Amino acid sequence: MRDAHERLDHAALRGSLFVVVAVLSLLPLTRLIWEGLAPGGTASTSALVRVLTDASTWTATAHSLVTAFGGTLVAVVIGAIVALVVTLTDMRARSAFVFFFVMPLLIAPQVVALAWLQSFGPASPLLRMLGAAPLVGSRNPLYSPAGIIVVLGVQYAPLVFLTLRAALRSLPQELMDAALAGGARPFRVVRTIVVPLMTPPLLAGVALSFVSCLGNFGIPALLGIPANYVVLPTLVYQRLAGLGPGVLSDVAVLSILIGAMAVAGILIQDALLRRRDFRIPAAAASARAFELRRWRPFVETALWLLLVVVLVLPLCALVLTSLVPAVGVTLGIKTATLENFQFVMFEHAAARRAFVNSVALSATASIVIALIAIPLAYFVVWHKSPLFAAANIVTEIPYAVPGVVLAIAAILLFLRPLPIVGISIYNTVWIILFCYLARFLVLGLRPVASGYRQLDRTLEEASQIAGARLMRRLRTIVVPLVAPAAAAGALLIFLTAFNELTVSALLWSSGSETLGVVFFSFQQGGDSTYAAALGVLTVIVSVALMLSTLLFARRVPQGVLPWRD
Amino acid sequence: MKWESRRSFVIATAALALAMTAPAGAQEAKGKLVLYTSQPERDAAQTVAAFRRVQPNVDVEVFRSGTTEVMAKLAAEFAGGQPKPDVLLIADAASMEALKADGRLQPYKEAKVDGLAAGSFDSDRTYFGSKLITTGIVVNTAAKSRPTSWADLAKPEYKGQVAMPSPLYSGAAAIMLGTMTTRSDLGWKYFEQLAGSAIAVRGNGAVLNAVASGEKTYGVLVDFMAFNAKAKGSPIDFVFPAEGLPAVTEPVAILKTATNPAAARAFVDFILSDEGQKLAATMGYIPARASVGMPSWYPPGAKINLMPTDIAKVVHANSANLQRFAEMFGK
Repeated sequence: MRDAHERLDHAALRGSLFVVVAVLSLLPLTRLIWEGLAPGGTASTSALVRVLTDASTWTATAHSLVTAFGGTLVAVVIGAIVALVVTLTDMRARSAFVFFFVMPLLIAPQVVALAWLQSFGPASPLLRMLGAAPLVGSRNPLYSPAGIIVVLGVQYAPLVFLTLRAALRSLPQELMDAALAGGARPFRVVRTIVVPLMTPPLLAGVALSFVSCLGNFGIPALLGIPANYVVLPTLVYQRLAGLGPGVLSDVAVLSILIGAMAVAGILIQDALLRRRDFRIPAAAASARAFELRRWRPFVETALWLLLVVVLVLPLCALVLTSLVPAVGVTLGIKTATLENFQFVMFEHAAARRAFVNSVALSATASIVIALIAIPLAYFVVWHKSPLFAAANIVTEIPYAVPGVVLAIAAILLFLRPLPIVGISIYNTVWIILFCYLARFLVLGLRPVASGYRQLDRTLEEASQIAGARLMRRLRTIVVPLVAPAAAAGALLIFLTAFNELTVSALLWSSGSETLGVVFFSFQQGGDSTYAAALGVLTVIVSVALMLSTLLFARRVPQGVLPWRD
Repeated sequence: MKWESRRSFVIATAALALAMTAPAGAQEAKGKLVLYTSQPERDAAQTVAAFRRVQPNVDVEVFRSGTTEVMAKLAAEFAGGQPKPDVLLIADAASMEALKADGRLQPYKEAKVDGLAAGSFDSDRTYFGSKLITTGIVVNTAAKSRPTSWADLAKPEYKGQVAMPSPLYSGAAAIMLGTMTTRSDLGWKYFEQLAGSAIAVRGNGAVLNAVASGEKTYGVLVDFMAFNAKAKGSPIDFVFPAEGLPAVTEPVAILKTATNPAAARAFVDFILSDEGQKLAATMGYIPARASVGMPSWYPPGAKINLMPTDIAKVVHANSANLQRFAEMFGK
């Protein structure tokens, strides 16, 4: 009797989870690929030929590759050096440094791009106050491919840093001890032991930042569109915003192209790793730090200087711009004004609405995903079901492909009213919520899964023997145990969704604006002082949320909160 | 004054104030009103706030973009069968003429047009010019030399120093293109030369940003934006070019598919009312109703030399013009 109940409960819960994962993770991209094969419902290669013979497609593709490779190179150089120094040496104030170094990852890319823009050029309030502004008529150097590459690199260096740092922590001490005992100098140890062992995580970091650079919309939109330097995501945006859903089949082909490039990047990384054996001795103790001795102050100064350049100066420029009364005014005690903040907070209805929308969307997405992730990870980790292992991988897809790809897939899926109920969610806030759920599911799933891995199943088994049914066990035993991990995941989702632009730029309509969209339209309309004020506000909210997590950080599995070392 | 009498004084004042706003608020409107506009963010916000003081029961939802993009969005919505806006407030009459020709606009016969300049509104009363917006030249105060005419701007010495709004985004720029290309003194030849010295950016806001920030020294810009930014301290000056200034009328119109026509009519009433017109003047626009006075920047006693525009011709040539411009300026 009890077994029958248990089987029934399992079947019901597993079944509904499969449907959820299929709808969120598989359906949109299946629909997109179908559109590529049969545009508008009939098999035809016309859209494919039209797009692939269009010169602008290949210009944008070339630009995408240039900026993605360039950005990855910058990210890898900065991220790898910082990871090596932070992990392998005895530098001080490590946690504080990591908190700040990882911060760009959790600030909206478009806000970072504006902050960099305001650090250069003749109108930079920072340069003007220092009397170092370039002459009138000189172009802002960031409106260029090089500008896009630098800002992308800074934005994603923390990604490389995080993957490398996790791996460096499990570096086997025995090998390094042996080398040092054999008389090798520290640099030789790094070259012959650390670097080879770090190849897999480095390649993973490379692939990750390549895919992120390729899919980024905010940075090339702010820095590339004014220079007429169009990459694939901005091309999709321009086509759709300028021409409407009539060009949907064409942008679907473009999206598939972006998706294919991203997948190719991941596959190449996989193939490179499979050719070699990177296994390391088991049960390795965490590596001891190299002592920097008299070099320590210099190394520390260099690292903090890096932070000043990539984070503090741009953010200062952003804050200063938000205080400028009109573009081109030199900032001083007398000219500084809070009018821009007043406008975006109280007078501009869409900005206020966007704040409500973004908070509601992010909160809903993080709560709903936590509710999906807890039972899903339960089956993935504790029941080791092979079907769920597959489902686990499937949830990665909408996050791995660039955001524009998912957005176009969602438009194709929801342009016409939903079958049976007959309601259309296109042009409403619900299509954005759908995309957030699909895209960020994996962000909630990963921390919960690692939470389960660290927990012992005995408590749940004991209650099962005592007769508690599945839902009751989940509610009373499992949820309290994995709650900290789920909360950390929820917070990560909240922060990501709160700063999101790529998906909502294509899906918003009047009434369903997000903060990213309003920021972007301010900047596009030339109102960069309003954009700066809105950007400053979102940065404050993000940093406050990051700081608040430090309160419950000890109960969260290590490596879940990227900003916590 | 005792408390009672003070209160009755307050009530009497309030009643008087209500009575004074009665003409504009005569039609009781409520519900949601969707406005698509090309006004800059701040101006749109102020217009809506002032309208809601007269019609507090109407909630206004605004979509703002350049006129050309608003038109593209509308076209997409027409194609999808679900046009969202009730009312439009966009830059130029040519766009309105195109919508009218497609049967998209709803006439409003009772609109109060007395006191408006003749020809500023459609004779079938489907759209109504709300102001006059001229386009001239904006100069960063650090500029070494000053152009005085449109012809100057195309000179080789200004190469790479000029920003202009793209007509593919801005309605005022589309009218400027349509007006200038038909003139014998400028024509397409002028734009061919201009393509050598100017770059086309997303809209007037972007031009202002480029010139005020000093990234470009010269720009083609609408009057009110230049004067408003100058008043707030931006280092720029506005030049009235010798050949004259092309102008648009920023018409307001009700869509045939409006779901809240009562609120839409109330919005048109407000825009054309003395109060709405005064608001436009304080925001730096030349109002359609001259009786309410001119914006503070307006040269007293002087008359701006306007370039006449043949709207019908512009409507006819518009898409060909945009195509040709796009090829010339590479966007």
